[in-house]
Amino acid sequence: MQQRYEEWKRKTEALMEKFPERKKEFTTSSDIHIERLYGPSEDGYEYDKLGLPGEYPFTRGIQPTMYRARHWTMRQYAGFGSAEETNHRFRYLLQQGQTGLSVAFDLPTQIGYDSDHAMAKGEVGKVGVAIDSLEDMEALLKDIPLDRVSTSMTINAPAAVLLAMYIAVAEKQGVPSEKISGTIQNDILKEYIARGTYIFPPKPSMRLITDIFAYCKDFVPKWNTISISGYHIREAGSNAVQELAFTIANGLAYVDAAIEAGLNIDEFAPRLAFFFNAHNDFFEEAAKFRAARRIWARFMKETYGAKNPKSWQLRFHTQTGGSTLTAQQPDNNIVRVTLQALAAVLGGTQSLHTNSRDEALALPTEDSARIALRTQQIIAHESGVADTVDPLAGSYYVESLTDSLEEKALEYIQKIKELGGAVSAVEQGYMQREIHHTSYETQKEIEKGSQVIVGMNSFMLENEVQPELLRVDPSLGEKQKTKLEALRAGRDHDRASAQLEKLRQTARSERNLMPVILECVKSYCTVGEICGILREEFGEYRGI
Amino acid sequence: MSKTIRVLIAKPGLDGHDRGALVVAQALRDYGMEVIYTGLRQTPEQIVASAIQEDVDAIGLSCLSGAHNELFPEITRLLGERGAEDIIVVGGGVIPWEDIPFLESKGIRKIFTPGTPTVDTAKFIEKAVAERDGTAINVPMTERPERIDHIGIAVTSLDEALPFYVNVLGLKLEAVEEVAEQGVKVAFLKIGESKIELLEPTDSSSAVAKFIEKRGEGIHHVALGVTDINKRIDELKENGVQMIHDKAVKGAGGADIAFLHPSSTRKVLFELCEKKKGDS
Repeated sequence: MQQRYEEWKRKTEALMEKFPERKKEFTTSSDIHIERLYGPSEDGYEYDKLGLPGEYPFTRGIQPTMYRARHWTMRQYAGFGSAEETNHRFRYLLQQGQTGLSVAFDLPTQIGYDSDHAMAKGEVGKVGVAIDSLEDMEALLKDIPLDRVSTSMTINAPAAVLLAMYIAVAEKQGVPSEKISGTIQNDILKEYIARGTYIFPPKPSMRLITDIFAYCKDFVPKWNTISISGYHIREAGSNAVQELAFTIANGLAYVDAAIEAGLNIDEFAPRLAFFFNAHNDFFEEAAKFRAARRIWARFMKETYGAKNPKSWQLRFHTQTGGSTLTAQQPDNNIVRVTLQALAAVLGGTQSLHTNSRDEALALPTEDSARIALRTQQIIAHESGVADTVDPLAGSYYVESLTDSLEEKALEYIQKIKELGGAVSAVEQGYMQREIHHTSYETQKEIEKGSQVIVGMNSFMLENEVQPELLRVDPSLGEKQKTKLEALRAGRDHDRASAQLEKLRQTARSERNLMPVILECVKSYCTVGEICGILREEFGEYRGI
Repeated sequence: MSKTIRVLIAKPGLDGHDRGALVVAQALRDYGMEVIYTGLRQTPEQIVASAIQEDVDAIGLSCLSGAHNELFPEITRLLGERGAEDIIVVGGGVIPWEDIPFLESKGIRKIFTPGTPTVDTAKFIEKAVAERDGTAINVPMTERPERIDHIGIAVTSLDEALPFYVNVLGLKLEAVEEVAEQGVKVAFLKIGESKIELLEPTDSSSAVAKFIEKRGEGIHHVALGVTDINKRIDELKENGVQMIHDKAVKGAGGADIAFLHPSSTRKVLFELCEKKKGDS
């Protein structure tokens, strides 16, 4: 190892002049010096399989110093009710030391309906913030400096519309689109597989995605154009291997689509991001993240011939597993979340959301959301696990699990390839069936008691105290309706309809949709109007 | 099952989380029911139309988005409007406990919160359908009650009452016993496999003393001889029966006993009574 290690060390130290570590020296409580990296000192180091941190195939992490330089981004997903209420929660979280924003949208917004649409009844502001027009987006981001905060938006089918709104608000703040940073989820395949907020059929949906890739490479270079998500696949009941395999398979489908649309791999691959679940099985989860990096790096370099090392790197966000939370004895969830978050950190995540204890019952209260954030802060600042890079490497168990997960995931990926790739496999319902099968088996094991869920099927309490829960203003639907009426009456009507007509023509052509969508939102066309035109042109996906 | 129960599993609103709906659908099928799954994003109108068209016995609604208070009652309202209120509606999802009374007041028969075993859902639907159809529930969870163990009769004085039972009716006095916990002195008279139990209050605050004060002497309770008493208590509670004793307590003769609250039994005071083998 010696020679390559020395070389790595030299390079890393040169890099540290620009990106210094958090401390001059790291030590344990007994004053034992902590090295940046541990590994065998002899020749036994497996460069092909592990690489050094920041080097291909990135098993040990995508940066050479990892959390010794900077902790992961603590990014709590939040959003409920009106844009004003959510803006208040965002500013509270930033004040509490959160380092990035993450916006949850309500279901009408996610499915491209305005708040006054018949299908939106009862859903306005429930699982996230209601955004109908640029006006709401302005309220959502009021007094938040968009040149300094990075924002993740969980939005898929109408991702182009919400990204356009974000760009428009930034411009109003005087921040050019080149300077803003953040992520849109924009991962439609997992919507068909697991999450359900699709609008259009696969083909036009893939076009919208590649249009965003192409637009952002020129105008929003710091934006992560997609967050390829295993999270929801896992929540839908898959196991770790299925989560890993289906996510990578979806990622490969986006790469294929972008190449087919004429993009060069190194133009868009560096902006692809991933999103995984951190579930209960501690070592398997940590190993899963390590395996994911290795699999992706090999595909990008060896199969697709990407030249830019940034194209090889799998960067990912993690959220702890929502479906592992129990409604019974909700405080126990704090402990579950801690262990899951620790697995994500030991697996080298770039950003992390920790769930709140009460989320099996309702949206989190402010108290619960604070405890969830504190959990991350305690791991980062007190536990010492962030003081050396990839501390689990070399554990017989973890390395063996990493290899096995990689091997089993590759089998699935091969099977999906034989079915014609991820888009085709989704259309045939292949992933959906595999996930359902696993999910039902899990349920049966829990009911038999062979899988113990503390507080739910074992160690139960007779009389549980019921916690305080958050309630969303039920009159919000009416308020949004009134706002929409005022908006439609007050805007430049001719301009708005002209832009919508341009959108229709562009949808019928092969031109990039992003510029015209941006013009639509600036003319205060609503999410429902924009998606409505696209629905008429593209049709709707009806599920299988 | 005498007939195959048909259930519509439905996802009202825009929520796309269907893991729970799919698992419950599969579990009900495995239990022997016919299940139709609507798929995502159904309006209340669509759900009610499917339920009527498919002639289902029950609808299972799943909602994790928080829109349940708006959507579930709309479905029961529409069922009523179309004369289909006999369709049993149950629900589940991320539903706060505090919303359950409201939903039940709107005709949702039961809300199954996260962590409910799927078999409980199946059994609930099966029972509700049987009750509605007036058919006997033919799959009791525990053994049916074996016999009338005894009939309890409240008397002001055993000394005054016993001569009638023994000398006039000719019953055999088996034992007289004081049960301090219940504030009574008890005399057992054997008749076939059952008994008559005469209860004399020894404490003016005891239940029997109050009974006599309110209603005078007379029949006080009927005791059913059962096995597996605590399991039966749980089963009764699941069926909405209010218990005076949530767990079995010790009664006369060393038996495990528990009383059902008369408000749940059309005013008859019933006792469950389990005697260990060898007890007389």
